[in-house]
Order: sequence, then structure tokens, then C-alpha cells
Amino acid sequence: MSKNSVVLEVEKLNLYINDHHILKDIDIAFYKNKVTAIMGPSGCGKTTLIRSVNRLNDLIPGLKSTGSLSLNQQNLLELNPIQVRREVGMVFQRPNPFPTMSIYENVLAGYYLNGIKLSKDDKERIVTESLQQAALFDEVKDNIHRKGTFLSGGQQQRLCIARALAMNPKILLLDEPTSALDPKSTASIEQLIIELKSKVTIIMVTHNIGQASRVSDFTAFLYLGELVEYGPTQTLFTNPKHTKTEEYLTRKFG
Amino acid sequence: MIYDASIRYRLLKDRLFKISLGVLSCILLMPLLFILYYIFINGITAFSFDFFLELPKPVGEAGGGISNAIVGTLLLIAVASTISIPFGVLIGLYLSENKTGKLPDITRLCIDTLQGIPSIVMGIIAYTWIVIPLGSFSLFSGAFALSLMMIPLISKSTEETLNLIPDALKEAAYALGAPYHTTLLRVIIPSGKSGLCSGILLGVARVSGETAPLLFTAFGNPFMSVDLFKSVNSLPLLIFNYATSPYQDWQNLAWGASLLLVLFVLSLSLIAKVVSKR
Repeated sequence: MSKNSVVLEVEKLNLYINDHHILKDIDIAFYKNKVTAIMGPSGCGKTTLIRSVNRLNDLIPGLKSTGSLSLNQQNLLELNPIQVRREVGMVFQRPNPFPTMSIYENVLAGYYLNGIKLSKDDKERIVTESLQQAALFDEVKDNIHRKGTFLSGGQQQRLCIARALAMNPKILLLDEPTSALDPKSTASIEQLIIELKSKVTIIMVTHNIGQASRVSDFTAFLYLGELVEYGPTQTLFTNPKHTKTEEYLTRKFG
Repeated sequence: MIYDASIRYRLLKDRLFKISLGVLSCILLMPLLFILYYIFINGITAFSFDFFLELPKPVGEAGGGISNAIVGTLLLIAVASTISIPFGVLIGLYLSENKTGKLPDITRLCIDTLQGIPSIVMGIIAYTWIVIPLGSFSLFSGAFALSLMMIPLISKSTEETLNLIPDALKEAAYALGAPYHTTLLRVIIPSGKSGLCSGILLGVARVSGETAPLLFTAFGNPFMSVDLFKSVNSLPLLIFNYATSPYQDWQNLAWGASLLLVLFVLSLSLIAKVVSKR
């Protein structure tokens, strides 16, 4: 593991919502240009963990978190959430393109919503590049000014990925990105994730054990808010150290 | 075959029930159709170019129109909308953003109370707050009374519309680093645009036929007036004054004005329906 450089280091992350202890002493390092899958049964804190990375948890009333998440030697918990979210992109369970905007405007939404003015050439370049990176350009290039909501579910999800990539994030968070999609769209998104890791570090939450084994380089197994096991995907899947991990992988629970 | 008779009885009961539902709804529709027909028959004879373009003429002179009331009504609605749309939309936005809490609950209670206040009381309030201090009946005081009626309508429809917008859109905007105000102004409000527009149109339709709040605010005026601080005529006021007059000419104008008002409100409601379906 020494040859991998750490991009995001999580140390002693504890998270409480009112009196509930949701995340317990999480220590985990995410490696640059790798795909890390976070697995675990429902309610184990997977989504809460990745939402800590882009501070979306701040929306929850009664939330308190301690510890540190360092990106470029800065503790994300101490920065302004708006700053954090420009460095960390996110794609959600259900595709959520902005219904009032065209495909073109959706890709540029990050700039528009942050009040960043772009020249026309920059806009064209960013839209083309982002859609190409999200493997959507060829399918939509003739309808780029139509509403994004006319696309199929899988295409909408790739549009959301393009929208996140357009901001050049250091980290891309994927929260069960294929759980609302059909098998064919799922396959294309999985292929895309593998291609994208050369450009961005990816952290994905998945319920699907097969998906974690297909696309991730590292896998973390979370259970009841604790990080039970973390390591290279191949090692974790073939030779889990903890019985809980093994039981989860063999679907004895979860 | 034993159950044959009872099944036939039940089917008969079913059919009778369906028929009575149909008949009852037709009976309910009849007064509405009758009113529309009656207004149309009596009002259409008053329609002419003069009706829309001329001022009312003194009793005894033939012809004359209601252009001052048409302009007055449009101005009252325009000014009332200018006051009530910003307030109504912002209150609705605040309530949909803050579903629980002391201030939102109090605001909701106030809005409900405001909606329940009789329209004549709105007129009295506008009279004491604006007409008396300024010393004259005015377009502004009438519009103010109407806007008091529109604010709860608009804020309620705004709140309901915005509550239907999925949180996922807000999260998407936040995840891109958008600040709170741009998320609301550039994502949430545009997504609810058609619902907001239809709520506003229905609010306008609701108050454009109001007479009571205008009786001692806008007051009515036989001449053309576009001055914000002078009295102004409106279609409902004109109908109220002319329909109770003993003169046939004026009564005819009142019928014409009624038809115009009904057509106006009807088309606003239809537009609101079309807009909300988009």
C-alpha cells in the first residue's frame, strides 16, 4: 500500500445526531486515483460517512462531529461547507438533474449556481469534455439544449456525473449510484467508474457486493457505525480477517 | 344459481346508485349553467366598441361605456399584485423551508386567520390605515385591501407547490457548492414556477370580483382616473352601483360589466389550469 498516495485521511471521526452515536472512531485513508467501495448492511453509517466528506450532513439538525478529515492538509470539518463541496463532487442514488435546465445548462450548473462567469469557448469546452468523460457526449450531442429530464435513467445519472466532473473535483462521491437503474445502465455506469479513476479519486457506497468486487480497488466494511475491515478489495474478498466481514460477504446477514 | 336473485338485486342497486350520482351532479351543474346563460344573454347586448372605449354617459343619454371601470380594475389588480406577490411568495418560501418551529407555526396561524377575515373588514382596515390618514379615497387603498386578501392565497399555494419539489434537487445544488440563497432562487423557485404562476393567477381571479373591500377605499369614480391617490372605478363597484339604479341604460351596462367580469375570471382560471399542467 506504500506506493499509493493518500488524498483524504480520516482520523478519529465520530458523529452524533442528538444522542445517537452514528459513526464510531473511524480511521480510514482514501488513495489517489483509486476506487474505494464502502459496504455494509442498511443503517451502518455508509451514507453518513461519505456525506461527512462533502459536509452534506450539516443539513441534519442536531448533528455533531469530531475528529478530522484532511484533504490537502486541511481539515474539511473546519472549512466552510461551500469551499469543501467545490473540491468534492457527489452523485446520488436517484438521478437528480435540474428539471428547469437543459443538458448543457445542467453540466454548467456548478458554475452558474456559484456565480462564476465563463466565456462561451470555456463553456463549450467544459460541456464537451465533461460529457465525454461521462461517456454521454455521443448520445446527446444533437440534443444538448433539450431538457435533461427527457433522458433515460442511466443517461440522467451519467449527466449527473458530468455535472459533478465539470467542477474538476479532487474526490467524487457516489452514493449507491446504480441502485435506481436497470442492469444495462448499471453495467455502463460501472464501466465508467473504472475509466474515471485515472482523473479523480472515487469513493462509492454500494449495497451490491458484486459491484464492489467488480469496480473497486479498496473496500471498507462498516458495521453498526464501526469500520470493521479495510483493505485491497481482492484481499478483503478472498481472505477476510474478521468473521463479520466473511458473514456479510457470504450473505449470512445484511 | 341459488345466489342469482340476490346478485341481480345488488347489480340493480349498483346501477341505481350510479344513476343517482349522475343525476345529482347534473342538478348541481344546472344553476351554474343557468347563471352563465342568463348573464350571457343579458350582457352580450351591451357589448359594443363604445362599451369598451367610452366613459359612462349621464342618465338619459344613450350609449356610453365602462372604459374607466375596465382600466380601474386592471390597475387595482396590477397594484395589488405588485404588493402581494413578493410578500406571498416569500412567506410561502419561508414556510416550505421551515416546516417546524415557533415562528413558522405562528406565521401559518396568522395566514389562516388572515384568509378567514371577511373581505369587508379588509376594506375597513384599508380605510382606517390609508384613506383617513391620506384624506381621500384612492386606487392605492383599494389595491392594499385586495392585496391583504391575496397574500394568504399566494403564500399558501406557494408553500404547497414548493413542498412538492423533491429534496434531491436541493441536495444536488448543495453538493455543487451552491449557497443557500442561490439554491432557492435558481433551483427551487424555477422548479416550482408553473405552480407559483397558477397560484398567483387564481389569487388574481379570486379578488378581481371583490366589491366589499373597494366600497370605501377605491370608492368608484364616473371619470377615467389612473392616479394612484385618487378614487377609481372598478367593474364590481360599477355593477353594484348601476344594477341598483332605476335606469334601464345603467342596468344594461351592469349586465355587460358582469359578463366581462365573468369572462375575465373564467379565462384566468383556465389559464391557471393550463399553466399548472406544464
